[in-house]
Amino acid sequence: MVDLLFYVAALLSVLCALGVVISENPVQSVLMLLGSFLGIAVIYLLAGFQFLAAIQVLVYGGAIMVLFLFVVMLLNLGDPEVQADEPLFHGRGRVTGGLGVALAALAVLLTASRGTALAPVETYLWPEGGLDPLLGMAEAMFGRYVLPFEAASVLLLATAVGVMALAKRQRTKRAIAPAPLESKEAAA
Amino acid sequence: MVVVQRRKLTLAERLYLPEVFRGLAITFRKMFQPRVTRQYPEEGLPKTEVTRGQPRLVVKDDGNIACVSCGLCEAACPAYAITIDGQETDRFIEREPERFDIDMLRCILCGFCEEACPKDAIFMSDELELADYSRRALVYDMDKLKRPASDMRARMDYVKRINGRWGVEA
Amino acid sequence: MAFLTLLLKASLIYGGLLGTAALMTLAERKVSAWMQLRVGPNRVGPGGLLQPLADGVKFILKEEVTPDGANMWIFRLAPMLAAIPAMMTVAVVPFAGQVELFGLDFGNLSVTDLDIGLLFILALSGLSVYGVILGGWASNSKYSLLGGLRASAQMVSYELSLIMTALAVVALTGAMDLREIVAAQAGSIFNWNVFTPVVGQVGLVLFVIATFAETNRHPFDFAECEPELVGGFHTEYSSMKFALFFLGEYCAMTVMACLTTVLFLGGYQVPFWEDAPWFVQLGAFGAKVGFFLFLFIWVRWTLPRFRYDQLMNLGWKVFLPVALANLLVVGALIALGWA
Repeated sequence: MVDLLFYVAALLSVLCALGVVISENPVQSVLMLLGSFLGIAVIYLLAGFQFLAAIQVLVYGGAIMVLFLFVVMLLNLGDPEVQADEPLFHGRGRVTGGLGVALAALAVLLTASRGTALAPVETYLWPEGGLDPLLGMAEAMFGRYVLPFEAASVLLLATAVGVMALAKRQRTKRAIAPAPLESKEAAA
Repeated sequence: MVVVQRRKLTLAERLYLPEVFRGLAITFRKMFQPRVTRQYPEEGLPKTEVTRGQPRLVVKDDGNIACVSCGLCEAACPAYAITIDGQETDRFIEREPERFDIDMLRCILCGFCEEACPKDAIFMSDELELADYSRRALVYDMDKLKRPASDMRARMDYVKRINGRWGVEA
Repeated sequence: MAFLTLLLKASLIYGGLLGTAALMTLAERKVSAWMQLRVGPNRVGPGGLLQPLADGVKFILKEEVTPDGANMWIFRLAPMLAAIPAMMTVAVVPFAGQVELFGLDFGNLSVTDLDIGLLFILALSGLSVYGVILGGWASNSKYSLLGGLRASAQMVSYELSLIMTALAVVALTGAMDLREIVAAQAGSIFNWNVFTPVVGQVGLVLFVIATFAETNRHPFDFAECEPELVGGFHTEYSSMKFALFFLGEYCAMTVMACLTTVLFLGGYQVPFWEDAPWFVQLGAFGAKVGFFLFLFIWVRWTLPRFRYDQLMNLGWKVFLPVALANLLVVGALIALGWA
C-alpha cells in the first residue's frame, strides 16, 4: 500500500514537473508545478515527515505558488506563438542546451547518491523514532547552522530587492523613451 | 472652490475597533425591533377611496351600465387602450356599447377615462393586481370590466366630491 | 470495528459540516433580514427552515453556462478546488472528548487527531484560494480575473498574520495537535487562551479579523465585491458549480470558527464543569462555534467594505507588526516563566 502510494506520488510529481516545462500556457505550468509540489508533500508524508509535508503545502502550495499565479495572471497572456518570439535557444542550441542541463542534473544526482545503496522503499519511508528527525532538523536549523540559515535568508531578501530595483529601472527607462504624441496629433 | 473641513477624528475613531463595536451594537439592537415587512399576498395593501386602481364599468342598481358609447374616454385615453363600438338600444339613453374593450397591457392606469366620462359610467376601482398567463386574457371585454355600483360607491362619491370642489357640476 | 467507528464518525461529522453550511446560507438571509427590520425567507417549511433544500434543488436544476473562450479544464477544476480543501479541514477538529454510547467506547469525537492538526488546517485552507484564483482566471472575463487577482494578493497577505497569531497559541500551549491545545486549556475557565493577559485578547481579535480576510468575508470580500466586479471570481459560474463555491465558502467559515474556538476559547471545555459528558462538551463547542458563525454574519451586515489599498495597508502595516509583537510578547512571557 505504502509502496503503491509512493510510486503514484513520485510519478505524479515527475510527470507534473515535465508538464511545467512542456506546457505552453503559463497558468497551466504553474498548476503543474503545484501538482508536483503536492506529490512531493505526499512523499514526505509517507516518509513520516508530517511537519515537512504540511509546511510544503502551506508555504509552497499556499503562498509561493499563489504569488506565481498572481504574477502570471498580471502578465499579458496573449497568443503563446506571439509570446515566444524570442526563445532562449534556437534550433540546435535548444537541443544541446536541454541535453546539457539533463546531463548536469544526472551528474549531480549520481554524485549525491554515491555511496548510498538503493535501499528498499520501506527502510527509508519509515525511519525509526517517528518524528525525531524533525527535532534533529530543528536543532540543525536553529542551533548548529543558525548563522548560515539566516545568511541564506538575507541573501534571498537581497535577491528580491535586487530584482525589484532592476525591474524598476527598466520600466522608468521605457517610460522616458520619447512617445510620438505630437506627430500622432499632427497626423490626425 | 469649496474647501471641505473634515472633522479631526478622535483616537477612538482612528483605532476603528471601538467604532466597529458601536456599529455591531446598533445592528444587534435592530434585530429585536418590530418588523416592517408586509406579507403581501396574505396581508393586502392598504386601500382607500383615493386608491386609483384599474378602470371599471359601473353596473347600476337596475343592472345596466350608464355608458352611451360617446367615445370621450376613448379619445382621452393617452395609451389608446380603449376600443368602443356603439349600437342603438330601446332604453331611454338610446345608445349603448356593443363592445367595450380595455387592453390592460396598454392601460397606464392614469384615470383620464374616469375624468372624461360625462355619464359617470367608468371609475377606477381599488383592484391592484394585474397578471395573467396570456396577452389575450389581459384584453378585458365588457363582462370583465363590469363591477356592481355597491363595490365602487366610495370611489364614486370621492370623485364626485373632488370634481365638485373644482367647480364642476357633479 | 475501528474502521466502522471511523466511518460512522466521519460521515456524522461531514454531514454536520454540510448541514451547518446549508443552515448558514439560511441564517445569513434571516439575520440580515432581522437587522434590516425585515422577516427574511419564510415560505419554504416552518419559518423558512427548508429554504436551503429548495435552494439546493434549484441549483441542481439550473442550466450550466460555460463562457466562450473559457479554459474548460481549469473552469471545471476551480469549484472543486474551492470546496474540497475547505471540507477536508474539518477532519482534525476535535468536537468533544471521549464518546461513550450504549456502553460502547467510540473514542474521541473527531475524524482524526493529527500531531500537526493546526498546520493541516492552515495548509489546506491556504490551498482553497486556488479555487478562487483559477475560477477567476479560467472564466475569460475581466471581472472574474480582477476578483481572482485580488483574492490571491489578499489571501497571501492575511495568511501571514493568521499563522503568526496561531503560532502564538502554539507557543503558549506547546502543541500543534488541536486536541492537546484544548487539553491545555482544561480546568478553570481562566485557563482559556483568551484570558492570557493582553496576548490572548490581542490574539483573538487579530485571529478573528484575519479569519474574515482569509475566508473572503465582509468587510474584506474583495474577491466578489459586487458593486465593482459584478460577482468577482464567480461572475461566470452557474448552477452546481456556483453552489460549490458557496459551499466551500461556508465550510471554510465553519472550520475557521471551530479553529478560533479551539485556539482561544478552550474548544469543547465546558466552563465550571470539568468532567462534563461528551454531549455537553459537544453542546458547549457548538455554542462557541455558533457565536463566531453569527459574528461572521453580524459583521457582514454591519460594516461597509474596505477599499483595496486600505486592506493592504491594514494587512502589512498593522496586522503583521502587531502579530509579530504578539508572538514576541508570548515568547517573553514563556521565557520569564509567566505563561
